[in-house]
Amino acid sequence: MNQKELKKRLTELEDKLIGIEEPRENCIYLNCESQNSFAVNKFLFEELRLRFVIATGIDAEDCFEVIYHYANDRAGSMVNLKAFIRNRKKPAIDSIATFLPAAEWIEREIHDILGIDFNNHPDMRRLILADDWPEGVYPLRKDMDSKIAQGWTCKTSIRPSKKSPARRTIPMKKPILAVGPFHPLQEEMEFFQLATDGEIVTDIDMRISYNHRGIEKISESLQFDQVPFLVSRICGICSASHPLAYVQAVEELAGIEPPVRALYVRTIINELERIHSHVLWFGLAGHFIGYDTVFMWAWKYRETVLDLLEEITGNRNNYGNVTVGGCREDIPDELKPRIIKDINFVEKKTNMLIKAVDDDPILHARLKGVGVLSYEDAVKFAVTGPTARASGIDIDVRRDESYAAYDQLDWDVITRPEGDVFAKVVVRLLEVVESCKIIKQAVQKIPDGPVAMKVKQIPPGEAIGRVEAPRGETFHYVRSDGGNRPVRHKVRAPSYVNVPSFKASCIGEHIADVTITLAAVDPCYSCTERLAVVDGENKVMHDYESLLRMSREKMDRISKDLGVEKLKLEDL
Amino acid sequence: MMERIPQYLFWILIFPGFVFTVLIGLVASWVVRKVSALVQWRVGPRLYQPFVDILKLLGKETLVPRGSQKALFFAAPLIAMTAVLLLSTMLWRIAFDRIDFIGDIIVAIYLMVLPSLALILGSSASASPHAAVGTSREMKLVLAYELPLALALVVIVIKNGGQLNLAQIAQNNVVFSISGLLAFLVALLCVQAKLGFVPFDIAEAETELAGGVLIEYSGALLAIWKLAQAMMLVALPLFLVLAFLGGFTVLWAGIAKYVLILVLLILIKNTNPRMRIDQAMKFFWVYCGFALILAVVLAGLGNYYGIGWL
Repeated sequence: MNQKELKKRLTELEDKLIGIEEPRENCIYLNCESQNSFAVNKFLFEELRLRFVIATGIDAEDCFEVIYHYANDRAGSMVNLKAFIRNRKKPAIDSIATFLPAAEWIEREIHDILGIDFNNHPDMRRLILADDWPEGVYPLRKDMDSKIAQGWTCKTSIRPSKKSPARRTIPMKKPILAVGPFHPLQEEMEFFQLATDGEIVTDIDMRISYNHRGIEKISESLQFDQVPFLVSRICGICSASHPLAYVQAVEELAGIEPPVRALYVRTIINELERIHSHVLWFGLAGHFIGYDTVFMWAWKYRETVLDLLEEITGNRNNYGNVTVGGCREDIPDELKPRIIKDINFVEKKTNMLIKAVDDDPILHARLKGVGVLSYEDAVKFAVTGPTARASGIDIDVRRDESYAAYDQLDWDVITRPEGDVFAKVVVRLLEVVESCKIIKQAVQKIPDGPVAMKVKQIPPGEAIGRVEAPRGETFHYVRSDGGNRPVRHKVRAPSYVNVPSFKASCIGEHIADVTITLAAVDPCYSCTERLAVVDGENKVMHDYESLLRMSREKMDRISKDLGVEKLKLEDL
Repeated sequence: MMERIPQYLFWILIFPGFVFTVLIGLVASWVVRKVSALVQWRVGPRLYQPFVDILKLLGKETLVPRGSQKALFFAAPLIAMTAVLLLSTMLWRIAFDRIDFIGDIIVAIYLMVLPSLALILGSSASASPHAAVGTSREMKLVLAYELPLALALVVIVIKNGGQLNLAQIAQNNVVFSISGLLAFLVALLCVQAKLGFVPFDIAEAETELAGGVLIEYSGALLAIWKLAQAMMLVALPLFLVLAFLGGFTVLWAGIAKYVLILVLLILIKNTNPRMRIDQAMKFFWVYCGFALILAVVLAGLGNYYGIGWL
């Protein structure tokens, strides 16, 4: 739907809204009261078929705001529904997770951090706060007493109510296979419980939040030009995409256009990052299905890319190369021939890998038709990036809402209709080839000039920055009150919407296939879990039913005897 | 009889039994690791690494899960080790001294199954859901590859005119015939599965089951498992050399044959991803099964009409 049609359809909503604003082209804000938000959301998702991106909860001092962000990918525009919750004492709003599973996590998260109740939410457990985080203390409320958080330990007398334990029991009759919190499959902490029937998985439950760093909260205490270095630490791999998304939001807010050379440098760094990430994933995918030779080979080719990144930015990861108004480091002209040479090497090797994948019958047998995420499920879970493109959803922020220098270059968006793991492998490998194409063109076309400009002040307002990270769309929402710090900075990393799609793709699969299915969306847990306040000690509940609380010593004893009673491993 | 007991003990415990086989086995496992590393552009371990690994494990605490069936949990690795020890002693004696008794090939088959059975017992005794899934997979895998392996040996027996004596069988190079080659290739894959190498490391599958069947084993018990596996790395290829490749008639040729089989195993290990258990069963029963039925028929025809190359 193009922007004109969209605006025409939006007029149908007039009686439910209290205002429509369009501060910038391609970015519409709809304001409504909380009572009407359910109906408007339903209209946006089901009638207009917009893609749900994320929701942002904001404590606006006199009321609470929940902003639902939708993307209209055809026109590359955003539609944001701002619902005002006036009752500060007992804030509540209707849940939209009833018809939109993609919103399930974010509603739980907003409940955790702001204490907003979502009526009729199917599964209102805690998502990101520790199990014994005190009840009634909401970290992102402006009036939160920080002393409570500082003094919080496991022994705090304030306990969460029985209503909000983070864990759900799967009926105990079925054997449960615990994958995590620490498991050879995973490089980071997360916890999957697979209810199994023989080799078949019948239910899956996910628990994240073992590794909080409170990025959004910290961001509110940093100045605008310090934040890029913070958000580049959300994830080592996406450390070009996150700062870029944030910087684009702030630049939009300030109404500035960075120098053209800076746009090209950003393009090159971001595409190097994509190659680095996809090749890394391909190696890991090989490892997950026991193909360690592929693992080692892929990671060897990735070294070339890391060396280039180090040469340009000074770091193999956490580049921190974008600043508001440009870039920190320029690409020196004498490096250009080397970039071309190395990228040619990577392209050659990637083509070799593609051929190897195509020729290997066992790979076909292991990956084809496995972990299928259908088009309908992909829409419902609002997945992004290669996960969406492998399910036939033709979206790519680089093309839809072009940023940096992508619109100056010639490249293609790769899609596959199958939705299985094999399609995801193919999409990623072909994207590496496209990235090589982009980099080579960008290096040839890069104009002379400065790479940074001075930025004086960030005016009050709100803006959105989107970047196509290797795993999908990275979304940053920044609100400024005219001061030198953001009053709210919302980050949505792609894995946050990609990971919940396991519910659709894993059930009914073999255990052997679930691991590769879990890995196929390239889940990045450090991206998924960037919000919470205290790096707490995760408490362990031994007996969920009685919510028996254990002391630290007891936990140590249990973990020693792990596997004690039959099939009780999931209790840990 | 009594005076020969020291002789038997020497055979079983020192040469060519325990000490000798463990030595060769650990070196062979080093070869596997080193060659895999080179294929994967890594440096790989030093020659003494497998020995140090075993020593380290022997010094570690042995944890026994509380819900486990203790006797079985302890006995399983010992059963496996004993079986491999007997098997390797027997095969070495056949290879070096041509000692023989009628039907030793049948004994060899039974001894080769025992380690897998012990693994199933041990893991099912260890009270862990991961081990439980591993157990069921190991069981299915044993069911899958035992039938083709038995059929492959039937081909051998037919090719040797009903001979059930390994020392006699080892005189013939049956691999230089269509049926013999088919049988050898299938038996090689069965050995790959018995060793738990990729693509048949389904029961251990570290990225799915975190070690599966062996997940609860630690310390000395795990060391015994590792030793048993190292010895299997000697005994099983040795069996293939005797049954298919004409044995150790010349010593250096015998060693070359053993190394050849080891290299084949390593190559298969490093150029394949792990199969799923249902795919592995289908592979062994359908594809290998049909190939071997064909081989049996060919061998029978060849034997009846006296055509050697069939």
